[in-house]
Amino acid sequence: MQTIENIYKPILVEIIEVIQETADVKTFKLKFKDPEQQKSFSFKAGQFAEYSVFGVGECTFCIASSPTRMDVIECSFKVAGKVTSALDRLNVGDTMGLRGPYGNWFPIEEMKGKNVVFIAGGIGLAPVRCVIWNVLDLRKEFKDVTIIYGSRSVGDLVYKRELEEWAQMNDVKTVVTVDPGGETPDWKGEIGFVPTIVEKVAPSGVDTVAIICGPPIMIKYTFPVLEKLGFTEDNMITTLENRMKCGLGKCGRCNVGNVYVCKDGPVFTHKQIKALPDEY
Amino acid sequence: MNEYIITNEQINQLASELLNKNWNVVAESSDGISFKSITQGEDIKLNPSSKPSNLSPKQFFFPKSETLFFYKKTQTDVEIIDTAGVGNKTIIFGVKPCDTALTGILSKVFNWDYKDEFFNKKVENTVLIGLKCGYNDDDCFCTSVGLSPESEKGSDIFLVPLEDGSFLAKAVTEKGSEFVKENSKFFAPATDAKSKPVEMKAAPQKKFDPARIKEWLDHNFENEYWKSLGDLCLGCAQCAYVCPTCHCFDIVDENFDYMSGRRVKNWDCCQYTMFTKHASGHNPRSHQSDRYRQRVFHKFKYYPDRFETILCTGCGRCIRGCGIGMNISEVLQQIDKF
Amino acid sequence: MAQLVELAKELLESGKVSLIIGYTAKGDNATYPFIAYTAAEAEKLVFNHHCVNNLSVYINRLDIPEAGKIGIVVKGCDARALSMLIQESQIKRENVLIIGVNCNGVVKDVEMEWKKENVAPKCAVCEVRTPKLYDELIGTLEDFEKPDPTAMQIIAKIEAMTPKERWAFWQNEFDKCIKCYACRQVCPLCYCDRCIVDENTPQWIETSATARGNFSWNIIRALHQSGRCVGCGECSRVCPMGIPIGVLNMKMNMIGMSEFGFKPGMDINEPTLVGSYKFDDKENFIR
Repeated sequence: MQTIENIYKPILVEIIEVIQETADVKTFKLKFKDPEQQKSFSFKAGQFAEYSVFGVGECTFCIASSPTRMDVIECSFKVAGKVTSALDRLNVGDTMGLRGPYGNWFPIEEMKGKNVVFIAGGIGLAPVRCVIWNVLDLRKEFKDVTIIYGSRSVGDLVYKRELEEWAQMNDVKTVVTVDPGGETPDWKGEIGFVPTIVEKVAPSGVDTVAIICGPPIMIKYTFPVLEKLGFTEDNMITTLENRMKCGLGKCGRCNVGNVYVCKDGPVFTHKQIKALPDEY
Repeated sequence: MNEYIITNEQINQLASELLNKNWNVVAESSDGISFKSITQGEDIKLNPSSKPSNLSPKQFFFPKSETLFFYKKTQTDVEIIDTAGVGNKTIIFGVKPCDTALTGILSKVFNWDYKDEFFNKKVENTVLIGLKCGYNDDDCFCTSVGLSPESEKGSDIFLVPLEDGSFLAKAVTEKGSEFVKENSKFFAPATDAKSKPVEMKAAPQKKFDPARIKEWLDHNFENEYWKSLGDLCLGCAQCAYVCPTCHCFDIVDENFDYMSGRRVKNWDCCQYTMFTKHASGHNPRSHQSDRYRQRVFHKFKYYPDRFETILCTGCGRCIRGCGIGMNISEVLQQIDKF
Repeated sequence: MAQLVELAKELLESGKVSLIIGYTAKGDNATYPFIAYTAAEAEKLVFNHHCVNNLSVYINRLDIPEAGKIGIVVKGCDARALSMLIQESQIKRENVLIIGVNCNGVVKDVEMEWKKENVAPKCAVCEVRTPKLYDELIGTLEDFEKPDPTAMQIIAKIEAMTPKERWAFWQNEFDKCIKCYACRQVCPLCYCDRCIVDENTPQWIETSATARGNFSWNIIRALHQSGRCVGCGECSRVCPMGIPIGVLNMKMNMIGMSEFGFKPGMDINEPTLVGSYKFDDKENFIR
């Protein structure tokens, strides 16, 4: 009896660092247990993977690190259900599984030569972070780069050390905001909801690509602001989240109308999102 | 030349011989509930006019529960252990066209970019003996979805009952021809003197036009009609599980003990409330009407859009099995009239 | 049934109920659940030997917004389920208008021809041909040929087995289970917002359709139904694999009756068996 090629079998990875981003958000830095697999693994910014806690299950997150930095793979997650709770209990040295990369990716090539605006809210910064670093690592290929990020409160800001790093860069405009009431006494950033701050910063939509990710309500109010600033439907790009299982287009769980988030997404343009039926 | 004659007795003898060679020999169970592995050749009683079994033979290609791999954990490390892989050769006798078609239909999704070898190897490893169908009730609609009681799609060898009680056996695929060659003592080449095919019940009348329906579905996701369908459907999974083509599944980890277990692929159903529910509590399909709409759309629009194949064989099992009378054929006929 | 249609039209037209859950004919030999919202739709309501479904499953499950009183057509066995729902505080008595029907037996499964061999096993031992709970009562009782009490026969057969034989019997039956949960969805008393199989932290009951997963599911459902199941037989009817699950529930109810003198759904004022205690409850099983 010969064994068969198994598309559902994960690769083993080891947690080499755990970073507590906020009270309920963690980032894991992962290394492949088999260096050969690390060498042959490649992905594009925006793709996701299925992360396993053996004995508990699998969970879908984007790959939060950039493909320009292949020495570690990073993922960030918020504790919400069964598998994320189990992930929360893992430590440095523990073994996890990784299956992927799956899905489509941000159109980095088409973005070259243009201005790029990144807009994110809360944990929505995680799927955007991979493409931020991808762009910054190839900084000369892009024109103006703006990062607008907000969270409910200072405590909820993720990737704090990187927000500082980006703020230090003189060829990147970084604007960080917290919701009104979420500021601490020594907060020096903006105070206001992300869509309001986008309106204030007012990046021009001409020859610019906007990458947006965050809670549905933030996205809902950000799109009209961007439209007013001259962004086209094709140049506003977001990444969608839905309940997924196999990541391979087979289990039938993640479809929104005709579109399979794991195969046709998770990266979509505003135009594509508008065409989706109301079931996500 | 690929037509042969085989008698009932020869079929039973063939089955016995295959059993001796450790083949998994499968036929419809006598209680009409499902397809089962048999233990003796005489257990095969081909009845072309029998009602489709409650459960389709889908589970011989896509089991209701299937191990993907085992895992063994140590303090910090994990070892993944493959499953045993492909099992014994399998042969399923007496499969009607509305069931044989399932391998071709499901092959599309199970090979979409990534190849599910669990499914593929089972198809490769199985010989399907199709049987011309003489059953027809109000719930059958194979002819409306491009099939018929004589369709050879998916069969390796197709049996047509003859008036003298024997069967005309057509080798449809290369696998079928090989099988006949390897078991030639049971298959006599058909001659012009062969008996005529038995007259059987007429095929079901075409009840709706799937192309017209798809066109309506293309523009009517939000139509009021879907709301009415949600009232009575109870949201169990019977229709999906008995169906030869429903393929949605769940992947879960099951532990044997603290340090070991398996990851398993189980049948799942879009009619369950929890199917699309996010960990945050948000449910994109929170009403039964949304879920029933998904069933119709998936089978008659999304699958055809992507694979040019309808995800349905018209076997009618979902209608016969539904305890409260949901009837997809009637829904489609209604849509056809809009 | 003219009497039913007249009553239904009057109730809907007067606004006493916002809808009526009843049965409608499908061809000559079948009926299926149907909801009438208007007097015109009420014309389609019927009652006959093919009215097998237990409609009380819809009382809590309907996706329709709350809008006044709900009318429902029930047989005696169905009314017992309604009674239990009231006793377990799932519905308020004043929110339902119960149209009880004097029942002359129903078939085992919806599309069967009405004759002795096809009569449902529960009708052989029915004590509620006139429902115990109703606001309106229609129909007249007539004699009919009772079938053999097959359910009781199965119970007697199992009771005669040794524990090892019983284990093998149920193992064989549960092996067939495909975890479609039709039994759960059709049961009026399986009303948990989140069923125990859907609890995944931890996963108390495995979801896989394996020997272990199937056994756990069917046993836990029988345990959760003990002292609550009203014996309507819907679970056994809808099981696509023909597993006699209702038999387990019936046996548990026999124990509920013999040990605690409780029969579910016979009296809406009676405290439920698993929802109450009495000082003189037997304790002879506590060792």
